[in-house]
Amino acid sequence: MLKLENINAYYGDLQALWGISLDVNEGELVALVGPNGAGKTTTLKVIAGLLAPAAGLVEFRGQDLLKKSVHQIVSLGISQVPEGGRIFPGMTVLENLELGAFVPEARKAKDQTLQSVYKSYPILEERSDQLAGTLSGGERQMLAIGRALMSKPRLLVLDEPSFGLAPILVDQMFVMITEINKQGVTVLLVEQNVRAALEVAHRSYVIENGEIVGEGTGVDLLSFESIRSAYLG
Amino acid sequence: MARIQLLLVAVVVILLACLPLVIEKDSTLNLLVLILLFIIMASSWNILGGFTGQTSLGHAAFFGLGSLATRLLWIQGFPLLPSLLAGGGLAVVFALVIGIPAFKLKGVYFAIGTLALGQILFVTVGNLFPTISALPVEALRTYQLAPRYYLFLVLTILTVGFAYLLANSRVGLGMMAVREDEDAAEALGVNARRHKLLALVFSAFLAGMAGSAFAYYHVSYYYQFPFAPIWSFDTLTMVYIGGQGTIIGPIVGAIFFVLLREFLVLNVGEYHLIVFGVLFILVVLFLPGGFVEAWEKIRNLLVRRRSKRDRNASTTA
Repeated sequence: MLKLENINAYYGDLQALWGISLDVNEGELVALVGPNGAGKTTTLKVIAGLLAPAAGLVEFRGQDLLKKSVHQIVSLGISQVPEGGRIFPGMTVLENLELGAFVPEARKAKDQTLQSVYKSYPILEERSDQLAGTLSGGERQMLAIGRALMSKPRLLVLDEPSFGLAPILVDQMFVMITEINKQGVTVLLVEQNVRAALEVAHRSYVIENGEIVGEGTGVDLLSFESIRSAYLG
Repeated sequence: MARIQLLLVAVVVILLACLPLVIEKDSTLNLLVLILLFIIMASSWNILGGFTGQTSLGHAAFFGLGSLATRLLWIQGFPLLPSLLAGGGLAVVFALVIGIPAFKLKGVYFAIGTLALGQILFVTVGNLFPTISALPVEALRTYQLAPRYYLFLVLTILTVGFAYLLANSRVGLGMMAVREDEDAAEALGVNARRHKLLALVFSAFLAGMAGSAFAYYHVSYYYQFPFAPIWSFDTLTMVYIGGQGTIIGPIVGAIFFVLLREFLVLNVGEYHLIVFGVLFILVVLFLPGGFVEAWEKIRNLLVRRRSKRDRNASTTA
């Protein structure tokens, strides 16, 4: 479904990605794990169309994403939840969700999608008229995911969804992600919380210093000696 | 909008429309014109600053250009309506010319950029048209205040109505998302540049039309006068005091500002500037949402107190 091939990307003169290749198949839950500064968020920027790579190929359902603008990519069905959620604090919960369905394709089915998001996350319906800035940390992350689902994505891309959440909420977050995936949305998950990510993912990539250094099912990677010592202590 | 609100708006509009029939003092009608003018200016600024989060310190430029184009055309004998529209049109052209480079600047740099542009126009127009623009004798002989008042009234209704529709539209939603978090808005498919440019164009057109009406209204003034920075700063102060990003805020702010200034000028003279400076600082520090926020806080407090009383009543019963 999503295919990255030999991506090289730069910030100015600094090369951030060195020949990144990865695949996400329809229906999969794929994790991209690695330490801070490894290039995870940079990879997501390339997918979203926010950063043009110097070389390489990005394809989504057979279409060349490098020729598309950011909003066209959203229209094609890729929806990102940025790190920290980045909800709109000065707007109501409902307005936040409506903005999730901003692109014309999603707008047509807006009311229906809203009902299904409310069904999955009733707390958002309860708080629909409240300013998003007044929500708790867990509710905010729920809103960020609900907002991303409003665009009816085929592929949901999550950047550090567990970032800044209390441990109990982290577990709930991963349950939520698994449920979304079970409902038929393909998921690409970027995480520093390596153990949790490897446990829920079907397949995972390990990225370090801008390069993919490992690939496999979660269980495979968990038993990798280098992964164990590097990330799991 | 609730039916009761719609009814209230209709009553206010009808009352305002009847005022020139009962008011005999020109000074009262002039004061009303000034209030209406600033409601247009504040609502216009609010579309760019309040909805879209792009603080302009050069709004006088649009107001000035509107007045300049209209005044020059109309005095030369052009029909009134095309002259007025030319004012709004010139402001839009200027907005498009500056918008593309200006939106490469963000936040405080955008504000400084607009301030600089406003000042440049102020000085340039002062050099190019150093004279006073007075109405021709014929126009003076037939001058009537009521048509001017009605022009401002119609423009005010159109402006506020437009702001209301915009706030509840998809484009308006996109503008507010840009205000809140430009990158996150982009990631959802909101074209931030296009929304900012649209906000600037709407805002410039309305401020330009206010200037056009001013050119039709005012008997004699220096061409440079409507470009003066005071128009930018008064407008901004009103929006902050009333409550930016809301529909009612700029209206309340403009009424409050003009009436209070009138009162202060009569009673303390030039010191009124200090009063507004202090008021502005107090609002920014303690009430960033202006009167609208204050009203909501009071209402919440009352509601909470009432529900508490109800609870107490039910437990004692």
